[in-house]
Amino acid sequence: MSAENATAIVLRTVEFSETSLVVTLMTREFGKVGALAKGARRLKGPFESALDLLALCRIVFLRKSSESLDLVTEAKLLRRFRVKKGNLGGLYGGYYVAELLDAMTDDYDAHPELFDLADQTLAALADGETASKHVLRFELGLLRILGLLPSLEQCADCGDEVPAAGSVAFGHLDGGVLCAKCRVGKQQVASVHAGVLRTMTQLADSDDRVWRRLQIDKRTRGQLRGLMNQYMAHVLGRKPRLQPYLTWLERQ
Amino acid sequence: MAEITQAVTDLVDQFAKLPGIGKKSAERLTYHILHVHKSEALALAEAIRNVKENVRYCKSCYNLAEQELCGLCRDPGRQQDVICVVEQPRDLMALEQTGMYRGLYHVLLGRIAPLEGIGPDQLTIDALVNRVRAGGVEEVIMATNPTVEGDGTALYISSLLAETPVKITRLARGITSGSVLEYANKEMLSDALTGRQTF
Repeated sequence: MSAENATAIVLRTVEFSETSLVVTLMTREFGKVGALAKGARRLKGPFESALDLLALCRIVFLRKSSESLDLVTEAKLLRRFRVKKGNLGGLYGGYYVAELLDAMTDDYDAHPELFDLADQTLAALADGETASKHVLRFELGLLRILGLLPSLEQCADCGDEVPAAGSVAFGHLDGGVLCAKCRVGKQQVASVHAGVLRTMTQLADSDDRVWRRLQIDKRTRGQLRGLMNQYMAHVLGRKPRLQPYLTWLERQ
Repeated sequence: MAEITQAVTDLVDQFAKLPGIGKKSAERLTYHILHVHKSEALALAEAIRNVKENVRYCKSCYNLAEQELCGLCRDPGRQQDVICVVEQPRDLMALEQTGMYRGLYHVLLGRIAPLEGIGPDQLTIDALVNRVRAGGVEEVIMATNPTVEGDGTALYISSLLAETPVKITRLARGITSGSVLEYANKEMLSDALTGRQTF
């Protein structure tokens, strides 16, 4: 067993006993880690209540070679996730980030860029920045980093350029836009305005300056949310638990 | 290894289902039961039966009760215009032990935890909102746990009560009495500064 140091975001906590927790952590250095934190529910001790949902902390943990859970021995809080008064959209956005990270990443598959994106998104949500935009940015960034971003300019079937004007067919099963020829006979095809696809491309861009300048009108945001709800459900193979709560993102 | 008797094995299995009790502890408790006087063991069984048959949730505040209303709700000496909202009956007991609070309670029987599939509908939030809307309440104290989910639950309830004229407060947080500032962490100090009071 070797002791490792890592920066982590707490994705899930489950009470294990009177004083212990089983935690799922997204670490920058090692990816997702499931671990037992003995005594983490005590006020005093090496955890100081740091292992709360969505908290950013520095942890020390022991890696187990067998199938059993790793052991967190120490946690120091760097930033607690605490939204401002009345900001339920930010809170549910944060929960959604945790759900997607937990469901879409594998244990010990590190993605530092994804960790940084999640960290930035959680900080922005806690600060009260526009939750709907930051959540969309996170979803598209996550899909890009994991190689699951839908094709937004070329037909997902034949690879031809799809004209970005008017309404464009988007095939959930095919993983992106479809040209008029390939659309015929396809199932689970949505009709999307070209402006929505342009917004998606900009939000998915790795360059921060591109999406930060972006102004998304309410109608585009609504269409984009609907499209992402369907696409994320398709990628996950189930509807995300937080999906019904995402309507709060617009009520900020 | 041969079984001792089926009855003993059954009791060990039942004890082992309790929280915090492992196989070894379950065996110790079983041997203890075997050694104590019959009346003492049967008193334990009777107490368990009694709890399961007679204890229910108070119709008004959802605290544990043996009648339709719990002792706190029936007590005319309690301040009727303040409701303290807690997650579980054990939180209520902790607050009662301070002897500092003389108002009423409302037990949510959990907290909103969307990641675990627990939504507002599975708690007693509607009953709380109805109690407040029925009138006679001046203040609602949010005493949910100071965690993300506890705070989130308080935030959700306060959004539902925003249209009522009721004052909504949250338990204070910050530095512990008897400690020194030098050793308080950054978060404690910032909470204490944010929640500072007129001296």
